[in-house]
Amino acid sequence: MTRKIVSLTALAAASALVLAGCSSAADDGADASSDNSDKSITLWLAGGDTPDELRDYLKKEFTAETGATLNIQQQDWGDLVTKLTTSLPDANNTPDVAELGNTQSSTFTNVGAFLDVSDLYEELGGSKLLQSFVDAGKVGEKNYALPYYFGSRAVFTRADVWAAAGVEQPTTLDEFNAGVAAVNAADPLGIPDFSGFYLGGQDWRNGISWIFANDGDLATVKDGTWTSTLASENTLKGLAQLQELYKSASNAPNDAKDSNQYIYLNDSDEIKDAEGAVTSNTSLSAATIMAPTWAHWSIGTLGADADGKATRTWDDTKNAVFALPGNDGKPAPVFAGGSNIGISATSKNPELAKSLLKIIYSGEYQTMLGQNGLGPANSDYVDSLGDDQFAEALIASASNSKLTPAAPGWATVEGSLVMEEFFSKIEGATDLKALAKEYDAKLTPMLNGE
Amino acid sequence: MTTQNLVLGQADPPRQARPRKKGRSTPYLLVIPACGILILALGYPLVWQFITSMQRFGLSQQFGQPPEFVWFDNYVTLFTDPYMWTVVARSLAFCLVTAAVTMAIGTLMALLMNAVHTAVRITLQISMLLAWAMPVVAAMTVWNWLIDWRRGVLNSVLTGIGLDFQNHNWLADPLSFFVVAMVIVVWMSVPFVAFSIYAGLTQVSTEVLEAAQLDGATLSQRLRFIIVPIIRPVLAIILLLQVIWDLRVFTQIRLLQDVGSIASETNLLGTYIYQLGVGSSDFAMASAVSIFVLVLTVALSWFYVRSMLKEDES
Repeated sequence: MTRKIVSLTALAAASALVLAGCSSAADDGADASSDNSDKSITLWLAGGDTPDELRDYLKKEFTAETGATLNIQQQDWGDLVTKLTTSLPDANNTPDVAELGNTQSSTFTNVGAFLDVSDLYEELGGSKLLQSFVDAGKVGEKNYALPYYFGSRAVFTRADVWAAAGVEQPTTLDEFNAGVAAVNAADPLGIPDFSGFYLGGQDWRNGISWIFANDGDLATVKDGTWTSTLASENTLKGLAQLQELYKSASNAPNDAKDSNQYIYLNDSDEIKDAEGAVTSNTSLSAATIMAPTWAHWSIGTLGADADGKATRTWDDTKNAVFALPGNDGKPAPVFAGGSNIGISATSKNPELAKSLLKIIYSGEYQTMLGQNGLGPANSDYVDSLGDDQFAEALIASASNSKLTPAAPGWATVEGSLVMEEFFSKIEGATDLKALAKEYDAKLTPMLNGE
Repeated sequence: MTTQNLVLGQADPPRQARPRKKGRSTPYLLVIPACGILILALGYPLVWQFITSMQRFGLSQQFGQPPEFVWFDNYVTLFTDPYMWTVVARSLAFCLVTAAVTMAIGTLMALLMNAVHTAVRITLQISMLLAWAMPVVAAMTVWNWLIDWRRGVLNSVLTGIGLDFQNHNWLADPLSFFVVAMVIVVWMSVPFVAFSIYAGLTQVSTEVLEAAQLDGATLSQRLRFIIVPIIRPVLAIILLLQVIWDLRVFTQIRLLQDVGSIASETNLLGTYIYQLGVGSSDFAMASAVSIFVLVLTVALSWFYVRSMLKEDES
């Protein structure tokens, strides 16, 4: 009888367990003491973008300068916001310095997650730092998060397919829009489901370039209040062009997101038989994609390096890369990729964290960033990117790039996938303006963090 | 295990209650540690959740701003939002259909295991155990490869037998998304159901079945009038667990959403709470939905709880 009561309780408890899911933050063993040699600070880097060479340099340099130890922990981009949300407020678990996406910066700086580093700003580079990123990490006149590195989006094409379709490389945005539609209609190789320009239905990060290129904007701010402007005249112009691209140039699925589009540019993919011979030659299905410039490592002819690891070799006869052209002779304003970096407001070792920032903004480290294809935050060192066509495309497209609104609720907008949802409905919309208005109504309260 | 006890309880002949020597409090004393741990481990988050659901609690509160108390505002916002009801209806439909299908297939598998030769049964059990033991994320990766719209095995097989499924995207349409999700969830839950019911079937004595057979009872009659009544307690608890699990299904849906589909069209309660709390940092709203799910779970379990109480009284 009591057994039944217990099992009842257990059952009630089991159903309560359903709701008790809570992720615990990663723990780092930073303990403070009077002498630096047994002090340590923690740096969170997002994803694998910062190469090992640079990480080792930071650790070595930091110990040489301060005598303390630097722990570097890599966090996934996917759950970075979650981890920051749970760890930064907690002095015992917070990373001392953390990298985060440039579009996520404003949300965290606005709630006071980062330390005020205005006093260091001039020393770290001042006006030479990439200003759009600096603004994303600013609240009022104070600097909280600073630029770490920038990337940018460029157009990658199959030049041979464009040539077979008899279409010239475009020099203006209008030419680009017409060109990808023409290549799509021609489909010179007779590939089923071929895309002149592969643009996923939910791929807003590439899609917003058309909004920016028509002088449109996602949102405007007045007296500290943000208003979503999807239904403004210029934005609608860009949306109409996108709708046309979705209809006449892209056969990407309506639910495809911004991920690995480059695989569609390659002749063959990784499907091989037991002997390692490629069995599938069907994967070329797009003549054009947009991707961050570092995608070039994944485009080209399949080969192997000395260790037998699969590599791809860029082939100029097949591929081309260029910045998305605007209609005014300049590159179109694309969405700037990249990261900011800041010191946690609850850090127990703010002085050591500041020493680390000084190393990150030193000429030597900035140069190392550039040599690894990451755009250095300080404009003095942009030359270190080199002068190959990828660096050129990166620098050209970044020269006019834009960021998403620096609104307090922008990370919320990204987290709720509302932009993805809006973009997926563009192709099928009979009344773009009504659709834009519907999403303006959803976005405005979110932007203001309500 | 509760199920084990229930089964035994059914099969044992009723015993004479012995006069109690010890005080009546002993059983309660024995229960105290279990209850204490439950209250500690579950009570705190539950109370926190309940309080939070009556506040405005966003990212600024997470970073130390005092939360504002708004009583039932969040609930009002929630229940006047048609999207919430869409998600609730979707979740209930998904949960009931999936649980029913799981139960049906699981029961058939159990009957099969009961009927076949030992070697065949062990093969069956091992393969089901593997399907059950596979970590969800790893299994989902394989499933995602299978249904991939460009290179998936599924499309290639269907195209191979002459149907036109070249580059068919299974996740774009919400209905086919949920069919895929249901197949995956069922595949993962059938082993547990089959094993539990098989355990129940071992309690059905062969003599009774043979006697019934001699009296001319057909297979379906034996199933209906002998087997099902004997294993009813097992069926009840398994069905209830399936309903609760399928109501709060999260990982499978979330990982499928990462691959394709428009999230707002395929959210179930689990992913909706995640999107509100983790995605939008609206912890108060997420708590309110969680409390609602708790109430829903209790409501769904009510029929089972009531029958247990009735048994207690008799």
